[in-house]
Amino acid sequence: MLEPLLGSTNAERSLLFLLTREQGYASEIAHFFDTDLYGIQKQLDKLETGGVLVSYKAGRTRLYRFNPRYSFLKALRLLLEKALSFYPADAQERLRIVRRRPRRRGKPL
Amino acid sequence: MKPIVDMTRLEFAAFVAAEFRRRKINVVLSGGSCVSIYSREKYVSMDLDFVNEAFAKRPLIKTAMESLGFREENRYFRHPDTEFLVEFPPGPLGVGEEPVKQIDEISTDTGVLRIISPTDCVKDRLTWFYHDNDTECLKQAVLVAETNDVDITEIERWSKVEGKSPMFDRIKHRLTTKAQ
Repeated sequence: MLEPLLGSTNAERSLLFLLTREQGYASEIAHFFDTDLYGIQKQLDKLETGGVLVSYKAGRTRLYRFNPRYSFLKALRLLLEKALSFYPADAQERLRIVRRRPRRRGKPL
Repeated sequence: MKPIVDMTRLEFAAFVAAEFRRRKINVVLSGGSCVSIYSREKYVSMDLDFVNEAFAKRPLIKTAMESLGFREENRYFRHPDTEFLVEFPPGPLGVGEEPVKQIDEISTDTGVLRIISPTDCVKDRLTWFYHDNDTECLKQAVLVAETNDVDITEIERWSKVEGKSPMFDRIKHRLTTKAQ
């Protein structure tokens, strides 16, 4: 939807994921959208270099989130919210429903 | 010209800035080194972050830096005669939601350094405290306020724009400025 503006579908996917989940890592985003990891990694790196995102390490995972100091963050969030509202209802729901509660290791699903 | 190895942070920053000025590329010092300069080195940062105001292309920056003897390493620039690392974070030159309001100039023997004002420096540090609860940055903001004329009313207004008035109210008493 924002691909003409952002120049990349994977950039849009990454930003929408981070908008709804607050933070995420490349393979998680790629898995969610069933797309290739390299494409997502490339866009996350580009967005970080451009100051839109920041990243930090948690164990061996590099987590990304919006850069709170990015001057256009409020406007970007509004734009992304607007774009998300045009997504099919089921896609919106998938993005917005986040399991945050803990699950003990080894517990059967 | 003084050898790089003997330059203070301020002189070194002005030396780099002078080369960019010569090439008509406007750069402004922001980030932790401003805290070091304004706090008379009570806080020491080894990074010099120059924001290039007119979004000059990376190859132009690289050429300018290489002409001064720097080598690029993972988006940082390193010089063999100093421990300081120079970086050019992406613009715009802003503090949170707003553009930087005032750019000061400091003259040195090595050139003129353009630097964000002490008030914007405090805002810049508070951004990390407000959004990431980074208490080290709060400490840096306090240091700058203590040693400079800082506009607390302006910081209060800006904090409101950032939606952080309650946090500002909690730390206001710590921002005792030289101007008071």
